[in-house]
Amino acid sequence: MEVLQSAVGWFLGLGSTVIVPIVLIILGLIFRVGFAKAVRGGVTTGVGLAGLFLVVNLIISALQPAVQALATNMGIEKSFVDVNWADAGIAWGWPGVAGLIVSLLVINILMVVLKLTKTLWTDVWSYWHGSALAGFVWALTGGNVVMGIAAGVLYLVLGSLMSDMTAKKYQEFNDMPGIGVPCGTTVQASLFAMPVVWLLDRIPGLKDWDASPDGIKKRFGLVGEPAILGLILGFIIGIAAGYSVQQWLGLGMQVATMMVVLPRMVSIIAEGIVPITMAIVQYMRERFKDREIYVAVDCAVLLGHPAVMASSVILFPLCVLLAAVLPGVQMLPIASLAVIPFWAGAVVPYTKGNVIKTVIVLLLYAIPFMYFSTLTVDAHTEAFNMMGQYGDQISQGLKLASWDMGGDILGFFIQKLFGLFS
Amino acid sequence: MGKLIVVACGAGINTSTIAEDSIRERMAKEGFADVEVKRILMADIEGYLTRSDLILIVSMMKIFRTFEVPVIQGMPFLIGSQEEKNVLLDKVVDVVKSK
Repeated sequence: MEVLQSAVGWFLGLGSTVIVPIVLIILGLIFRVGFAKAVRGGVTTGVGLAGLFLVVNLIISALQPAVQALATNMGIEKSFVDVNWADAGIAWGWPGVAGLIVSLLVINILMVVLKLTKTLWTDVWSYWHGSALAGFVWALTGGNVVMGIAAGVLYLVLGSLMSDMTAKKYQEFNDMPGIGVPCGTTVQASLFAMPVVWLLDRIPGLKDWDASPDGIKKRFGLVGEPAILGLILGFIIGIAAGYSVQQWLGLGMQVATMMVVLPRMVSIIAEGIVPITMAIVQYMRERFKDREIYVAVDCAVLLGHPAVMASSVILFPLCVLLAAVLPGVQMLPIASLAVIPFWAGAVVPYTKGNVIKTVIVLLLYAIPFMYFSTLTVDAHTEAFNMMGQYGDQISQGLKLASWDMGGDILGFFIQKLFGLFS
Repeated sequence: MGKLIVVACGAGINTSTIAEDSIRERMAKEGFADVEVKRILMADIEGYLTRSDLILIVSMMKIFRTFEVPVIQGMPFLIGSQEEKNVLLDKVVDVVKSK
């Protein structure tokens, strides 16, 4: 028993950038993708994870002193560091990820067979939303892997039910028959939009108010580019923090770097994982060939409409301002702004591409994220800590937060539920 | 001169990887050594449109504009059966051969 325990301890001590490639190579061999593909996929994912953690290090070293100085200078409390999609690192790196993938596959197939859902969870990459939440619950319960998996699976199962409710609308608006999008905070934005749009349509004057998406894109499109957005935000934070010209120019470039490189690192992780999990897609697809099924795809397919980017560039500054003035909100969104276009993609089918309505819906939708990302910060930070990341800085009071998944509405309540058992 | 196929999606993270993988595999099988398959963000497409070696755009989302080069809707790469994928890959091969 003792030998086993120390063996497990030794394995976990290797750290996620070593464990994840090993787990993925084994998964790849089980799914019969071939040895070369399995090894390439596993190692690529490990590289992506290591790269992601490097970028987060950069974010921390640049932004932590800046937001602290800003807080002191302006007399406001906004000292949490926004790491947003670094949560993908938790998702693919926490010890229960393989168990979560297998559990969800089994439960989803059962649910489809029993006709409890039409959504076939083939998009294994997007499991990361549930897996990140699972990682938080794992941290919250002091390292209980089973609890983590249960929380993640619950989240993803609810995601498939939400996808059932939204799939038809997505299919019609984007002209993509047969798809469903069960992704975390994206599909929740659609559910949120339904009653709000209904209400907005009953306010005289607002009903037909719109702005031309192409005009907005032409005028403000530059702000929609991650590098430029990051540069401007860095400048503003630096200036508000009372930095010297040299310092705030430097901060602008660092934030720009982070906005561009963080998603690239996530993309490398995906490049490793996707080929290994493609076999699952194929298998499940063939198995349910003759049934009416919504095949789960990534929320990125919803970004096509011009109103998406137009609404996002208006929302970027509004969200930062709102988070700055709302009392009790302790994270200024920077990296997290990157999730807004995905939300917009989920809302435009309901606003029929109306930019003004999309902006109103999402500004309201962002408010719970601002508070929940503040409320969940401890479990979120602890998850990084338990994975062996940033321990030194965390022990000195560093707090890491995010909108997607830290601020997730459904995820917040699932964390509360599982917190009862800790 | 080489031939460039871009696979464009909304985030350049997940969906385009799936299509890129399938197309690359087929290109290798056909022995097309001069074909480059590149996944990009739809938002970055302007920079590629001016390239003279661009022969095909595979789009993973609905696009609300037209292009001079042929465009193939890549959704079956994500959700299609093997036959539907093969039909799509045959189309890609036809475009490569015709250029």
